Parts: sequence; C-alpha cells; structure tokens
Amino acid sequence: MTVQVVTGNHAAGYALSAAGEANRTARGAACGIYPITPQTEIVEYVARFPFSKARIVPVESEHSAMAVSIGASLAGARAFTASSSNGLAYMTENVMVAGYYRLPIVMVAVNRTLGPPWNIWADQGDTLMLRDFAWLQFYCESNQEVLDTTLLAFRLAEDRRILLPVLTCMDAFIVSHTQTETTLPEQALVDSYLPDLQLPHRLRYDEARTIGGMVWPHEDLSQRLEIDEAMKRVPDVYQECRQSFRDVFGRDPGDVIQTDGTDDADTVLVATGTMATTAREVVRKRRAAGEKIGLIKIKMFRPFPAAAIREACGSARRVAVLDRNYAAGSGGVFWQDTRAAFQGHRNDVLIQNYLTGLCGEDVTPSVIDQILADLASREVAGDPVWMGIETGKETLQ
Amino acid sequence: MIEIRIHGRGGQGGVTLAKLIATSRFLQGQSVQAFGLYAAERSGAPVQAFCRYSDETITNRNLIYEPDHIIVLDPTLIGAQIAAGLKAGGWILLNSPQPPGDFTEQFPHNRVATVDATSIARANGLGTRSVPIVNTALAGAVGRMLEIPLHEITASLEHLGFVGANLVAASRAYDEVRLVDTPVNTEPFDNVAAAPDTAQGRSILQAAEMAAPAIKTGQWATEQPQRQQMIPPCNHICPAGNNVQGFLKALADEKVDEALEILLRTSPFPSVCGRACPAPCMEKCNRIELDGAVNVRQLERFAGDNGQVDIKPSAERDEKIAIVGSGPAGLTAAWHLARVGYRVKVFESGTEIGGLLRTGIPEFRLPDTVVSNEIDRILGLGVEVETDHVIDRQTLLDLARDNDAVLVATGQQALRDLKLGMNSAVAVAQGIDFLDRVHRQEIRVDDEDVVVIGGGNTAMDAARSALRLGAASVRVVYRRTRKEMPAISEEIDETLEEGIAIDYLTQPMALHEEPTDGIRRHYRLTCRRMALGEPDESGRRSPQEVDGSDFDLSCHRIILALGQSPDVSVFPEGTEVREGTQLLGLLETPVFAVGDLATREGTVAGAIGSGRRSAVHIHNVLSGDHVEITRHADATRDVDIWHDEVIRADAMKLHLFERQAVAAGDALPLEERRCTFDEVHLGLDDTAEAARCLSCGVCNECDLCLTFCPEGLLKRVGHGFEFDYSYCKGCGVCAAECPRNVIVMNHL
Repeated sequence: MTVQVVTGNHAAGYALSAAGEANRTARGAACGIYPITPQTEIVEYVARFPFSKARIVPVESEHSAMAVSIGASLAGARAFTASSSNGLAYMTENVMVAGYYRLPIVMVAVNRTLGPPWNIWADQGDTLMLRDFAWLQFYCESNQEVLDTTLLAFRLAEDRRILLPVLTCMDAFIVSHTQTETTLPEQALVDSYLPDLQLPHRLRYDEARTIGGMVWPHEDLSQRLEIDEAMKRVPDVYQECRQSFRDVFGRDPGDVIQTDGTDDADTVLVATGTMATTAREVVRKRRAAGEKIGLIKIKMFRPFPAAAIREACGSARRVAVLDRNYAAGSGGVFWQDTRAAFQGHRNDVLIQNYLTGLCGEDVTPSVIDQILADLASREVAGDPVWMGIETGKETLQ
Repeated sequence: MIEIRIHGRGGQGGVTLAKLIATSRFLQGQSVQAFGLYAAERSGAPVQAFCRYSDETITNRNLIYEPDHIIVLDPTLIGAQIAAGLKAGGWILLNSPQPPGDFTEQFPHNRVATVDATSIARANGLGTRSVPIVNTALAGAVGRMLEIPLHEITASLEHLGFVGANLVAASRAYDEVRLVDTPVNTEPFDNVAAAPDTAQGRSILQAAEMAAPAIKTGQWATEQPQRQQMIPPCNHICPAGNNVQGFLKALADEKVDEALEILLRTSPFPSVCGRACPAPCMEKCNRIELDGAVNVRQLERFAGDNGQVDIKPSAERDEKIAIVGSGPAGLTAAWHLARVGYRVKVFESGTEIGGLLRTGIPEFRLPDTVVSNEIDRILGLGVEVETDHVIDRQTLLDLARDNDAVLVATGQQALRDLKLGMNSAVAVAQGIDFLDRVHRQEIRVDDEDVVVIGGGNTAMDAARSALRLGAASVRVVYRRTRKEMPAISEEIDETLEEGIAIDYLTQPMALHEEPTDGIRRHYRLTCRRMALGEPDESGRRSPQEVDGSDFDLSCHRIILALGQSPDVSVFPEGTEVREGTQLLGLLETPVFAVGDLATREGTVAGAIGSGRRSAVHIHNVLSGDHVEITRHADATRDVDIWHDEVIRADAMKLHLFERQAVAAGDALPLEERRCTFDEVHLGLDDTAEAARCLSCGVCNECDLCLTFCPEGLLKRVGHGFEFDYSYCKGCGVCAAECPRNVIVMNHL
C-alpha cells in the first residue's frame, strides 16, 4: 500500500478502476461516463487507467452513461460510472432502471448544488433526489472513506443476497478537490477483496431472453418485495463486507452510522459528510470541557439505519439534524427520516432540523456552536432553521 | 498546524503551489491538505488556494480565514484586503521586483518577503510571456521564508514530476527572495477575518436587481478583438471601381433597388456590364477555392434590369462641359458630372450615341434596347447630345473656348491591319466594320466559308455573327493558345459550342485568289503553325514560326480582328495622351483624355472607371474640391483597423461555408442560337446567387460573433457592432468564428 497526496476524485477514480481491473479474470469492466464539474477528474482518471480488460465509453450525456453501464452490467461486466448535480438529474430515468434491474453498478457522485442559478459547490440535493430508486447510498467525509467505501460498495452490491446498485457520495471540492494523504491499496489486495462478478440474471448470446418487459401488477409487486427484502439484508451483509475489508486491507471502512460520545449524551448532533468532521471536532472539544454531547454520523442513508440511529441516541432528549440539502416545502431529508425513525418508539426527544452548508456554504465550528446554542434554548421543536442567512424578510409578497 | 493562503489568478498555478508546499511537508511525515477555491475556472480570474500542514491528522474541512502566512502570486492583486485575517507576525510573500521594504507600511504587523518570480519564470521559459507560471519559483522562496531546506522543496518538486527549469527557478528564488523578518509594528494586533455574509442575495424574481456581472473580466485580457476591414478581391480588381461586395449584399437581402443604387454610384451601365464585362471580379473571386466564383456578371445584369432608382442632379451648376465621344467612357463621365449639376453636352461623330456599345457588340450578347435604356437614364439627367459631329484639331480648340472643360473620349479608332500580300477590300474586312454592318443589317454571308483572324471579343463576336448570318462554315485563326486569348472565357466556350472551330497556334501568312465558282469569289489563305516561346512585353508567351508547317485554308471571306489603338491625330504632335493630364497645355480650359484613348484598357468596365475618375478630376479642378480619386470602390471604413490590402482566400475560413452550385442562368438552345440574334443568356430568375458571396474581409452582419461570444458582450450597433471590453477576457472565440477575417485579436 502506498500513501499519496491525492484528491477525493483521484481516490474515487482509483477505487473504481482497481475494482474494475479486479474483474479481468471474469467478464472485465465497463463504464459509460460523461464529465461534469466537479466530477471531471474521475473521468480523466478512469480514461487513463491501464485496464487489462475493460471498455470505457465516452458518451454524449449522463443518460447514455448510465445506459452503457446498464448494458455492460447485464452482460456480466463490472460496471461503474460517476456524475454530479444536474448530470444526475439528466441520468435519473436510467438510474431507476439500474435499481429495478437489480444490477450491481457502483456510481460515485460528487454532491453539487442543483442549478439554476449555476453553482458548483457542495449540496446533497442531487443524490438525495435519487433516494427512492432502489440504490444503496453512502455519504463519505474523507478521501480515504471515499476510496474504501467505493471498494466495499462493489462487494456489497455484487453479493447474491443484495444485487442492488450503490451510490458513493462526497462533498464537492471539500473532498473532491482537496489533496491530502490517502492510502491507495495495491491491485493484488483489491483482487483478493473483490471476487469475480457472477451475475445470476446475466444476458447471454445463446439464451435469448428479455428483462424488464411488460408484466401484470402482481408480478411487479413480487419484484418490489424482493427489493425490500434485499434492502433489509443490507445491514448484516454490510458488516460481513466491512469485516473482510478489515481483514484484507487492515483498515476499517466505517460502520453505517458512526458515533462519538453518544453513550451518556443528553444532546446529539446528527450530521453527514464533511459536516460530520467539523461537528466531531466541536463535540470532542465540548466533551473535554464536560458537556454531555454526542455525534451520530450517518454514513449509510439507503437503506436508512433507523433502528441504529434510535439506539445510538440512547437517553438523549435533544437531537439536532444538520442537513446540507433542502427538500422544498418540507425541510432537510436526513431530518425527515431521522424524525420518522423515532415515531412510535419514543416521543420524548426534541428533534430539530438545521439547514446548513446549503449551496456550498462553509460549515465552520462557529456554525455548529450556533446550532447547539439554538437547540439548548428550545422547549419544543420548530420549523427547520436556516443557518447563515437572515430569514423572515420577505421582499416579494 | 500551519495554514497558508495563496492569492493568484487562474492559470498561474496557485493550487499547484499549495500542493508543492503540502507535499514537501508530507514527505517529512506531516499530515497535509492542499485545495483551491474554485469558481469560474477561467484564465486570469482571481483565485485562492490553501495549504495546511500539521504533525496531527488534519480534521479541519473549512477554508482558511485566519492564515499563518499569505502568498501573492500576481502583483496586481497586492492590496490591504488580501491580508484579511492574517495573523500578526505571519509572513506575506509577494511576487514583486520591489524590495520588501516598499510594502512594510502596507502590512505593518507582518513580516514581508518579495521575490521577482515573474522574471525568474520568464527567464526559465515557464508558462507564456503573458501568463508566466510562477509557482515553482515561489515554492523556492517559500522554502527560504519558512526555513524549509531547499532540498525538501526540490524533493517535493521532483516527487510531483517537476524537472529542469522548474528546479532552477525554485533554487534561484530561494537565493533571491528578500526578507524583512521583523514587522514594523510589533504591538499586539488582532487582524479580523472578514465576517461571513448573512445578507440575502438577489431575488431571481426581481429583474431590475439582475445587475451586470460584477467581475470586470476585461481586466484579465491579454488580447482584445478588433474590427478590421480589408478589400474584397472583386472590389479591388473591378476596372469600373464598382462596390461588388456591396451590391451583392443588397441583392442577397433582396434589395434590388438598393443594389442598383450602389452600382450607379460608380457605373451608369450595370445592365451593359452585366452582359459584356469580362468580369475579372469572377476570376479573382475567393469562392473559386470552395466551389466556383459567384456569378457577379449575371447578378449585375439582374440588378440593372430589375432595379428602379430615380436619380436627379443633386445641385445646379453653371459650368459647361463638352465631352467628345459617346462611348462608355464619355457617357460615364457625363453621368457623374451631370449628377452633381454640371451642364454637359456630348458630341458624337456617328449617327447613334453609345459608341462601340451599339455597333461593336452584337445583339445576341448585348441587345440594343438594353443600351438604349441605360443611355436614356443618363440623358434623363439633362445631358445634351449632338450626333454626326466630327471633331478635328480646330473644332477641339473651339470646344475648349466655349466650355469650362473638355473631355475627349474617342476610344480606339485605329484598327490594326495584317499584310497578307494580296489586299482585297472585298475579301478582307475589319471586324469592327463587319459588326457595324451587322448592326445595320446590311450584310449576310450565306453559304460562305468565313475565316476570322484574332483572339479577342471582336473576333468571337464576328465569328458568331457570321454563323448567324448563314455562313456554311466559320473558323477562327489565332496565333497563340487558348490561354493567351483576350476574349472572355465564357464567350470562347459559347463560340466552340455553336460549332465554330478555332485553329490555335496558327498565323495567316498570305492570301491567294482562287478561281471563282461563278457565284462568289474564292480564296486560299496560307497559314503557318506556331509554337510558344518566351514571354513578350505583354507577359504572354510570344509565338514562334514552325518551319515547314504551312497549310492552306479555303474561304470566301476573311475578317480581321487584331485589336485597335487610339487615334490621337486631333492633338498636337507629341501630345502625351494619358488620363488626368492636360492635353492642350496652352489653354486654361482643362482638356483631358478619358477611356480607351487614355488608358488603352479596351474594356467597357475600364472605360467606365476612367470616365468616373476623370469626372471627379474635372470636378476638383472646376470647384476647388478635393474629392478622393479612388481606383476601386471604397467600402465603409467604420472599423477599428482599415487594411488597404486585398483579402486572399487563405485568410478566409472557407470550411465554415457550405458548398453550393453556381447559378449560371438559362441560355437559348443551340439550334436557336445558330439562326437568330436573340440574346443567348436569359439571365437569372432571382437574387439567390448573391447569397453565395462570402463578403471577403467585410462584415456582412452574419452575426456568428454575436452568437458565439460566450460572454454575450458583442452588441450590434446599426450595421456595425461593438465590443464591451470591460467584460471581454480575450478568449478569441469571435475571431475564431468570424469566417471573413473581420475580427482579429490584438495583443495588448
């Protein structure tokens, strides 16, 4: 293993390529891919990688990028792609096709604000838009986590008990373009972690079949139920994949949620991505000063680890959910699911939503401090709170 | 943890500098971060880059608001605001040739270092002259400033693949950086970082608030687009001085009247030239390189035949001007002089006005009605005419006395002869005289074998006329090859099409009478084969006789068409007859020669050009004005750069144009052509052919530049356009897209 100073995009490109290369003894790798800021570096990396058996197809759009990956995956190749923001929006129709086809495609997404107005900075609204399409979703906070999670994603996606596509996400620029020391595992290790892909419903020349054609309602119902059952198996299979990752690489890719000081906390912050890094620093400092405060970082968003979050909150009575996204007319997406996780289980927890870091705003420790101050002052939860901007000054009525 | 903020411009390598510093620390076992603050990723935009290093694993994911040190890559960015949040006592490294002491008052609480990284980069060939890449030099300076050994900096450079000049630049900067390592003011100082902006941005619903882009990107530019204009080859070559590009543009816009008006500014004979002009504009047309010349001749005919323009004299003047000769030169001069109000009278020796337009070009090429219509337009300005008025030396003097100016436009009256040993007025006729008789319908050549000698338009016209008048056979004898023939190429083609043979490289030597057949006289023309030798003074290869190659042609009639020369017998001996010179030096009255008499060009278009220039000259003499006498049409010069130079095809982006077939127009079927004098060419049905004009070197408002400008900063103003240089960063897309070389990039 070598440690190098590389960007998050470089880490992702390496993980996708090494995983694809690992399938060279089987049907090889394939990738339809289309560039978009801030993901372009991944395209460049993948295009230059000296694959033994792969086809990287430069296409004219994200929709076609996913179409190529779907076709290749159905033919038994280890398929992957990467995109971001409005590119994902354009890809969406085929994103759901991949999920409902039960194809173990891995996609890296760089979270970027959906436009207009044009904005290239971090916001999770793009991948959260895809939350209901039978894809697993992971949100990462560092270059290393992006690399490790992407490798793990292939193993998890291709497990016969799962067979669902996986999306690995990172914050635009804060991760994608930040160069920092990152461990890049050798190909031999990746080879040993990722067995050859065996897709049970692979299409073959000598067996003419169709997939995804017209069905009666009840047939479709059973396919949806199969997806639900696969989703329910994810937490256990994830732990298996995580353990073997540790065995092969000697490093923990991280649990589906990651806690800091939640055991005795009366106040818990829930955060994702690089916001979790900053929140963790604040939590550790405050705990050192004696405050009973904890952090839950949600790494896996789909399937949503509701029970794990509920359990991790322990006896805490105040929970702040930080959302770097805004579902118009509702609030933060992580907040919605976190709040639902408690419904019918516990009614004594004040769960307040903070919209922060939207549109690429920098979430600094002082922002976290402001959130904690607001949370402490509350008797009951209120509407989602917009951080970093004055509200209530409607100029157009 | 050490935090460094770097200020530079896009393309200077700020992010790489951050990585170079980070890598030098990483190689020493520290945890590092290097990243940029990206925005509009364009060359020249102010950008920031950041570098952190620490013995502990770095967990800070924010931008750097309170840096330990600051590095400024671009001298134009040096200002107090870049030091926002810089910790007291921290270094500020400036890329500047000035000593650091020059900046200590500006940054009193900081240590200041300067290095002329720009010069070092240029000296080592790093980047371009306009955008030198200064990062590797600055990495060396950073090493010295932060007490990082030079070998740790060069190790970082090598780790990242930098070699050669970059290493030299780094170590030179390491040596040359100048340091002021104690702040001027060491009092405690809290440099406040800029507070985060919590104000609301603009509402997308309030259009009025959508101001122009705030960043004046024009400051980044190293190049700026400019409008230039060059001379289209057609305009440049046109002997009449017509604005060819201009009238084609009007026709392309289906403005036929405007096209005619443009033509009438220079020539009163568009319908004539649209039929009889050799059209050198078409020979020089840049479109030949793509798919064939624009059919300018037929388009001029279309404008002349179909346009409607009412021209009246613009003023009334008392001066009287006499013009001798009513050919195209005289009538053109009359046209221009009458338009500005002079009292013009034209004297013609023949019975009809029009000169050779009437008698020298047969009906099937130039119908009489066409000539009459255009002459009527000239006479409509009040020009008087006197026919059957022959001028001699004495009457010329009389004219000079009675008028304020005299123009002599008698053309080329002297006909070249050929000694054939046996001169028979019956056997041999001059082509011009033959055509005159044809015009008067005084002659037929039924069942005769006719030989025409010569290679010009008169030869072709005489041969084709003979064919139409019942000749049994017509052949043309010419002593050089087709390439040297002065006739219009299309007319040669049509002559051949109509069944007339041309004997090239053939020189008639002698004519012998043969026994008559009882109906008409019969001759034998002995000819000799020729071969082309060295070029003569006309530039054409001169024919040399081939010994022993004589052969005979049997014929009943010989027509000589060997060209004409001016008859200068009306002037005193030794008078130099040139355009623009006073002919009768003893008189005060200006007397000028004009047209073929003065220029010997021998084309209608040349005569028109001479007539126009002479009219302007006379006007300047009589009025004291200084109107510029131009050889070719002057297009608008409302541009940044006027290039008095012809634009050639290689300066045009021909690949941006679609190939399109030339619209030739219909012609009479061959069988009809052989027996009638009806016009051969039927003309164009519409103006579509004009749209093939590439408008070489002249903006024709195609608006590709407006369409492709990524900044949308080109604005159409009337028929021109303007650049908003405050937002033009000099990307050059407009110039790259301009198909006609109107937009050029000017290096600042």
